[in-house]
Amino acid sequence: MPSEDRERDWQLGKVHRKVDAMERMRGVARYTDDLKLPGMLHAKILRSPHAHARIRGIDLAPALALPGVFAAVTGQDFKIPYGIIPWTPDENALAVDKVCHVGDGVVAIAAIDEDTANAACKAVIVDYEPLRAFFDPEEALAVRDREGTINPYSRKGNVSKHVLLEFGEVDAELAASDLVIEGDYEFGGTTHGAIEPHCAVALVEPSGILTVWSATQVSHYLHRELAKVLELPPHRIRVIQPPLGGAFGGKSEPFDLEFCVAKLAMKTGRPVKLLYTREEVFYAHRGRHPMKMKYRTGFTRDGKIKAVDARTILDGGAYSSFGLVTTYYSGQLLCAPYAFGTYRFDSTRAYTNKPACGPKRGHGSVQPRFAMEIQLDKAAVALGIDPIDLRRRNDIGANTQTINEFRVGSNGFLECLARVEAASGWRERRAKLGYGRGLGVAGSTYISGTNYPIYPNDMPQAGVQICLDRSGRARVFSGANDIGQGSNTMLAVITSEELGLPIEDIRVLSADTDLCPVDLGAYSSRITLMVGNACLDAASKLRRKVCESVAKRWKVPRDRVVLAGRMAIDREDPDRHVDSAQAFQWAEADHGLLGEVGSYNTPKDRHGEYRGGTIGASPAYSFTAHLAEVEVDVETGIVDVKKIWIAHDCGKALSKRIVEGQIEGSTYMGFGEALMEEHGVDPEHRGAHAGPSLLDYRMPTFLDTPELAAMIVEAPDANGPYGAKEAGEGPLHSSIPAIANAIYDAVGIRLDRIPFSPPRVLAALAERRRRELAGELSPHKPGPDHARRSA
Amino acid sequence: MLRLPQFQVESPDTVEGVVAALQRHAGARVIAGGTDILPNLKHFLDTPPVLVSLARVTALRGLQRDDAAGLLRIGAGVTLTQIAEDAQVRALFPSLAHAAGIVASPVIRNMGTLGGNVNLDTRCRYVNQSEFWRGSIGGGCLKSEGNVCHVVPKGRNCVAAMSSDNVPVLISLDANIVLVGPEGRRVLPLADYFHADGVAHTLARPGEVTVELQLPLPAGPRRARYTKWSVRRSIDFPLLSVALRFDLAADSPHAEVLAAKVVVGVLGAKPRVVTRLDEALGKPLSDPAVARIVSEATHAQCKPLDNVPYEAAYRREMLRVYTRRGVEAMVAEG
Amino acid sequence: MSHLLLSMTVNGEAVQVAAPAHHTLLEVLRYKLDLIGTKQGCDKGDCGACTVQIDGVPQLSCLTLAVHAVGRAVTTVEGLGQQAGGCHPLQDAFDRWNAAQCGFCTPGILLSAEALLRRCAGREPTRLQVCEALAGNLCRCTGYTKIIDAVLDVGRQMAVAAAASAGEVAHAE
Ligand SMILES: Cc1cc2nc3c(=O)[nH]c(=O)nc-3n(C[C@H](O)[C@H](O)[C@H](O)COP(=O)(O)OP(=O)(O)OC[C@H]3O[C@@H](n4cnc5c(N)ncnc54)[C@H](O)[C@@H]3O)c2cc1C
Ligand code: SF4
Ligand code: FES
Ligand code: FES
Repeated sequence: MPSEDRERDWQLGKVHRKVDAMERMRGVARYTDDLKLPGMLHAKILRSPHAHARIRGIDLAPALALPGVFAAVTGQDFKIPYGIIPWTPDENALAVDKVCHVGDGVVAIAAIDEDTANAACKAVIVDYEPLRAFFDPEEALAVRDREGTINPYSRKGNVSKHVLLEFGEVDAELAASDLVIEGDYEFGGTTHGAIEPHCAVALVEPSGILTVWSATQVSHYLHRELAKVLELPPHRIRVIQPPLGGAFGGKSEPFDLEFCVAKLAMKTGRPVKLLYTREEVFYAHRGRHPMKMKYRTGFTRDGKIKAVDARTILDGGAYSSFGLVTTYYSGQLLCAPYAFGTYRFDSTRAYTNKPACGPKRGHGSVQPRFAMEIQLDKAAVALGIDPIDLRRRNDIGANTQTINEFRVGSNGFLECLARVEAASGWRERRAKLGYGRGLGVAGSTYISGTNYPIYPNDMPQAGVQICLDRSGRARVFSGANDIGQGSNTMLAVITSEELGLPIEDIRVLSADTDLCPVDLGAYSSRITLMVGNACLDAASKLRRKVCESVAKRWKVPRDRVVLAGRMAIDREDPDRHVDSAQAFQWAEADHGLLGEVGSYNTPKDRHGEYRGGTIGASPAYSFTAHLAEVEVDVETGIVDVKKIWIAHDCGKALSKRIVEGQIEGSTYMGFGEALMEEHGVDPEHRGAHAGPSLLDYRMPTFLDTPELAAMIVEAPDANGPYGAKEAGEGPLHSSIPAIANAIYDAVGIRLDRIPFSPPRVLAALAERRRRELAGELSPHKPGPDHARRSA
Repeated sequence: MLRLPQFQVESPDTVEGVVAALQRHAGARVIAGGTDILPNLKHFLDTPPVLVSLARVTALRGLQRDDAAGLLRIGAGVTLTQIAEDAQVRALFPSLAHAAGIVASPVIRNMGTLGGNVNLDTRCRYVNQSEFWRGSIGGGCLKSEGNVCHVVPKGRNCVAAMSSDNVPVLISLDANIVLVGPEGRRVLPLADYFHADGVAHTLARPGEVTVELQLPLPAGPRRARYTKWSVRRSIDFPLLSVALRFDLAADSPHAEVLAAKVVVGVLGAKPRVVTRLDEALGKPLSDPAVARIVSEATHAQCKPLDNVPYEAAYRREMLRVYTRRGVEAMVAEG
Repeated sequence: MSHLLLSMTVNGEAVQVAAPAHHTLLEVLRYKLDLIGTKQGCDKGDCGACTVQIDGVPQLSCLTLAVHAVGRAVTTVEGLGQQAGGCHPLQDAFDRWNAAQCGFCTPGILLSAEALLRRCAGREPTRLQVCEALAGNLCRCTGYTKIIDAVLDVGRQMAVAAAASAGEVAHAE
C-alpha cells in the first residue's frame, strides 16, 4: 500500500541507526534483569529430577521455616491449565499431579535473595513415584493406556496432533512419474540460544494492579494467559516487555516464571524477580522439533515435480506449545517456491518426556525444507539437470496459488537464484572444483505473518497510534515486541518516511499493555508487514492533515506539499519551506491535538477452503536462495563451510543493513544447526538433558562462522507496507540443505540427518567407498589424490 | 545467577603465606585465575570453607631464561596469554606457545594461569554439570556425590579426562614441576605428577602449591608440535590432544630422528606417554615411515573413553590421523 | 553472611563496596553498583557477555571474584564511552553498521574489541585478527558479519589517523 502523494523513498532502503541501539551499547537500557525495585524478593523454582513421575506429596514446611523465606507456591496454586494455542491448554504453571520431563517446575519460592531461595528449594521434600518415561516418539505413540499417557490433559494417548491432507491424486501421479526419489530424513532437535536468559519481575501496586515485566516476545498473549491462570480481570494486569536480549521463538509463549513471580508478588505484597539460570533456559526450550521425515517425490523426465508424498513424525516433548500449528506447518509451508502437481502430507506429533518443543526461527518448516531440497538435489543428479535449472523449471511464479490453495503475491525467487548463481560463479566454477570441494544450492519461502490470529476474533491483527506534538516530534505507540530484530526502528522509518522527520525525532514506545494498542507479538515474521501497515495507515493520515494545513497557508493544492528532511516543502518552489514544528503547529491549530490510530487486518482470501486451510496462509511470502561452498576433509569427516551466498526477496528493504543483518543472522543459525548444534536428552540416563549449557550446546563462534554474503532482492508485494515482506526467518531455511547439497557435490555423499557431524560424514564416505568397490557406483569426481586418502 | 557456595577468601602475598593459609584451613583450595575452579564450585562439586588466592603472589609471575641452569622458568601465575605471546617461548618452545594460545578463548586465556592449567581438574560429561543435573541422572558418581561411574559402569576408579592443553606439551618437552608445601620444596618430572584417578589426579600433597614449571632449553635441533581438535575453533575444551617432539641430528626435516616423544591428553585422568617409538629413530623425519610408525603406535596405545562429549570410537580413529598429520606438518614447515 | 569492604577503581572512579567473599565481580557490578551494562548469559565462562576490562585486559567478570578486583581498575561498557568523551568510536561504528541487534552481547564484544584495537596501536587489524580477538564472545543474532565490519571500519579509521599523525610528525621534523 504505497501512499501515492509523497516524496518517494527519502528514508526507505537507506542505512539507519537504530532507535534503541545506542542506549543498549552504552549500558543504560534496562533489560528485565536490570530492573531493581525497592523491597524486591528473588524467587527460584525447584525442578523435577525425574523425566516422568507422579507427585505423591510436597512438604514445604522445612523450606518455609528458613529465615528469609517469604512464600512458596506449588501446582495447587495454578490449577487452571494454559497453552499458547487456545485449543490445547495442556500445561500448568507448576506441576499439579505429575512431572513430565526433567526440569519441569514443581515449587517456586520467594526469599530475600537467591542463595536463600536456593537453600529453601533444597529443603522442600517432594515424594515422587517414578513412572515409565518415553524418549522415542514412535514408542510413545504406540502406547494407548492411561498409565503411559504423558500429558495429563491428553485425550488421545500420546498423540499430540495428527494432520493428513491430500491435494490431488498423489499415488496415481507417483505411479505415472518418470522418476521417484525416496528419502528418509532426520532433523535433530536444536534450540534458540538467545544470550539473555528468561527473566520476569512482578509488582502489585497498592491499587491491586499487577505489573509483570518479562523478557517475552508476546506480551499480549502473556497478558491473556496471566489473566486466565491467576483469575484476574485483564484490565487489572499490565505486561511490559523491557528491551530484550534475543528470542528467536524461545520467548514466544508464557513460561512458569511469569506466573510464579506474579503469584508470589500477590502473596507477599512485595516485588518478586525470577531469573532463569542458563540450564533452566534449556529446560524451558520450545526449540525446533526433531522430525523424522519420509519423502517420496515424483518427477517428469524434464524435472517437473508431479507429486510429493510426505510422512512426518514430530517429537513434541511434554507439552503442546505451538505444536498444533507446528504439525500443520510441517506440511503446509512446503508448497512454494515450487509448483507441486499433487501433494499429500501426513504428520503426527507425539508427546515425549522431554522439554517441550515449539517455534524456533522458521517454525515448523525448516525441517521439511531440509528434506525437500535434498530430494530436489537427488532428482537433479538422477536426471542430469543442473540443480539451479531444476529449481527454475519448478518455480511457482508470482500472483498464483499453491497446490494447498494459498494465494501467493509477489515472488522474487528466480531473481534470488540468479543472484546466488552469478555471485558464486556457479556456472564457471562448479565443474572445476575438484573432489573434496563443492557448491550446493537450495531455495525456500516463508510467511509474512499468518492470516489469522492465534485466538479467533474479528479485530485488527495490528494497531498503532501516533501522536505529533508542537515541538516537531512524533511518538509512536505500538504493542509490538522488538526482540532485537529492529521492529521499533522499522516503525520509526515508516513514520519518518511519511512525516518527513528524521529518525531521531521519533520516539517509539512499545510492548507495554497499558500504554500501547494491542499487538499479537513477534512471531511468524508478522511485524513488518502487519504492524508496518498499521503504522503506515496512522502516519499517512497525519501526513495528510499536516500537508493540508501547510497547503492552506501557502494557498497551494495539498499535493504540492512534501514532508522530508524535517521540513514541509513546496514541491514546485523548493525555496519555500517551513520546519516540521511550524507545520505541526499549523495542523494542531486546524485540527486540535494531532493523533491518529492505524490498524491492519489481513485479506481473507488467501487460504484454502478446507479444515486447516487457514493455517500457514499469509498475506505475502518471502523467497530465499542459498548457495554454499564447502570443503570436506575425507579423512576426518570435518566439513568446512567456506562461504554462503544468500539472496532474499523481502519485497522492499525498509532499512538496508537491518535486513542484511536478519539474512546473515538467520543463515548463521542454520549453519550452526547443520554442523554442530544438538539438543536432546539422554535416554540411557533417565532422560537427563544431554548438556544444558553453552559449552555443551555448541553455537558457532566468530572463528567457526563462514563468510556470509547477503543480497537483497526486492519483489514488492501489494500487501506489504511499500511492498515489504518478511526477512527475519525465511533466510534460515535453505542454508541447511544448501550445505548438504554442497557436501554431495564435494564428495558424493548424502547426509540426510543433521547435524553433519564428522563421524556421520565418515560413515557415509565409508558406505560410498564400499559401493564403489562393489561396482555399484563409479568414483564421484576427479580431484587431487591426497583429497581421497581415507582414514 | 549460578550461585557460589559460601567461602572466605585469603590473599597472602607470598608462597609461604599461601602454604600457611592452606594448612590453617582444612579443606581450603587454591584459586589462581579462577576459570576452572569457579565453574566447578558453581556446580557445587566442592564446598571449601576458604579459597586461598594467588592473585597477590607476585613471585609466581616470573618468566625467565636461566642459562646457568639450562632452563626456562615459568611461574605458576603466568597467564596463558603471556605464554602464548612471549618471544622466548615462541622461539624456544613453539609447541607450548601454540598450545597456550588455543586454550578456551582469548578472554579466558587472559585470566587462566599455567599453574591452574596444569592443575586443571579432570573433566567428564557426567560431572561438569550442576548439582541438580547430577541429581537427574540418579545422584552423581564417584567424583561427585555418588558411588558409581557412568563411563565405566563397573569401574571402581574415576576415569575423568585430563583435559589441559598444555600438560601434554609440557611433558613432551620434559618439563619439571616445582612444588612448595609444608615440607618444603620439591621438583619432579611433570610426567610423574599425574596418576590414574580422576578424583585426585595429581600427586600434590596436602598443602602443596605449584610454583613453577621448568623447561630444559633445547640441547640440539628439534621439531615440536601440538595438535588439538574440538568441535568449535574457540571456547571448547580439547577432544583430541597430541603433543609431538622429535630431536634431530641436524636442523632440517630431512635429518635423522634421534629421539621421539609423543604425549596424549583427554584419555583418562593421566596423560599418556606413547612408548615403543624406537623404530622411528634413525630415520629422517621426512621419511613417511616416521609419521606412520608414530601414528600407529599412538592409535594402538591410546583409548579415548566416553568421558567427554564426543564419540570415543571416532576420537580413537582420529588419534592416528592427527598424529600423522602433525608429523607431516612439521616436515612441510621445514 | 559477613561482608567485606572492597575498594577498587571502576570506570575511573574510586569506589568502595561491601560484598560477601563469595560474590563475583559481575554480581557486584550489576546489583551493587548498578552498572547494568555488563550482562550475564551463562555465569560460567561459556558466552563472554560479562566481559569487562581489568587493568585494561578483557576478562570474564562472572569468573572473577569481587575480591580479586580490589586495588585494580575495572572498565565496563559504561566507562568505554566516558573514556572517549561520550561515545567511543566503536560504539559509533556499531551503531552505523547495525552491529547490535538485541545488544545483549554487545557490551562484552565492545570491551574485547577495544583491547584489540589498542594493541594494534594504529595498525589495521585483519579480519582473522578480529575474529580471533572476539572468539570468546558469542553473539546469537548477527551472524557476526556486521560486528566484524564495524570493528574493521574503526581499525581502518585508526590506521588512517595514525598514518596522518605520523606524517605530520615527519613533516614537522
Ligand atoms: C569455557 C571454558 C573453556 C575452557 N577451555 C579450556 C581448554 O580448551 N583447554 C584447557 O586446557 N583449559 C580450558 N579451560 C580451563 C581453564 O580455563 C584453564 O585450564 C586455565 O588455565 C585454568 O587456570 P586458572 O588459573 O584459571 O585456574 P583456577 O581455576 O584458578 O584453578 C584450577 C585448579 O588448579 C588449582 N590451582 C591453581 N593454581 C595452582 C597452583 N599454583 N598450585 C596448585 N594448585 C593450583 C586450583 O585449586 C584448581 O583446582 C576452559 C575453561 C572454561 C570456563
Ligand atoms: S569418569 Fe565416572 S566417576 Fe569419573 S566423573 Fe565421569 S562418571 Fe564420574
Ligand atoms: S556470563 Fe560470563 S561468560 Fe557467560
Ligand atoms: S546482538 Fe543479540 S546476541 Fe549479539
